Amino acid sequence: MYTGPVGSASLAQQIHDYNVHVDRNDVFWMIPVRHEAVEVDFDDMRARLRVRGLNVFDDHDLANSLTQGLGLPNPPIAGVFPVRAKISFDVEWNGALAMAQIENNSQHFKGSFLSTGATISWFAEQPGFRFQSDTPPDPKANLVSVLGREQNGVFFS
Amino acid sequence: MNEQNSVSWKNLQQKWVSRRSLIRGAAGTALGAGLLRPELLYADDDDGDSERADCLGPNPIPGGVTALKPFGIFIHHNPLNPAAPLANISDPSQITDFEGFVGLTHIRGGGTGTDTETGVSTRLAFQADMGFSQGKFIGTDGRQHRGTFAFV
Repeated sequence: MYTGPVGSASLAQQIHDYNVHVDRNDVFWMIPVRHEAVEVDFDDMRARLRVRGLNVFDDHDLANSLTQGLGLPNPPIAGVFPVRAKISFDVEWNGALAMAQIENNSQHFKGSFLSTGATISWFAEQPGFRFQSDTPPDPKANLVSVLGREQNGVFFS
Repeated sequence: MNEQNSVSWKNLQQKWVSRRSLIRGAAGTALGAGLLRPELLYADDDDGDSERADCLGPNPIPGGVTALKPFGIFIHHNPLNPAAPLANISDPSQITDFEGFVGLTHIRGGGTGTDTETGVSTRLAFQADMGFSQGKFIGTDGRQHRGTFAFV
């Protein structure tokens, strides 16, 4: 979240960064959720992710998130201790703008992929602060979104 | 990475380990260890059994990107690039040994932030890099599981 104008994302203007931290296996920002939280109709080029009241951390900014609260010397970003927060979100992928069959032998993944439109509505709350994204969500806010049916690692063959 | 940056990164890593220990210790005490990293509550064995105690979750993809250059913090994630053709994307999954559906978004929008103590509201911008993975995976226990994960 940033104090700059809508469309901006300058690290120097960031005031909140909500994420679930890297897990003990180094999996990046992934958290198990109920199966019903995700609905996918790949043939119809649609998917939806809905989660309510997820416990996350607010690391203030991406630099503090990735350095686990150390901040950065350059650009100067002060270290910030994370605080707990809850977020709720509803993300929808809808409609194909492009399609691709990919088989990437160097990264060992393959599958069918769609570039799609997408929208998000989300809410955050923590002591002293809450945030509500614009409703209804603006489809033009989507910069790039991808939906895929893939295999990687040992399932790549 | 040049030598100067390597030195900086080395110093950062040393501080990082200390700070991480501090944060984890403090958070585990003040916030509850369960908040720091919840266990894999919603993944089942492939046969639907609940024998999941040994599975500490999936493994990360081997690849990814180096963030916050020049400090070089490697993350097992391939951010979407709006300028890149779809056919050239890197693996959008954060989980390796995975077969299933993945979704990723990169959205910038706006909303309203409110100071709940004063009631003052402010127009704010946001960037959301979020997604999901749903399917089967080989867990850290070497067994096949099914799970649904949000990328937050």
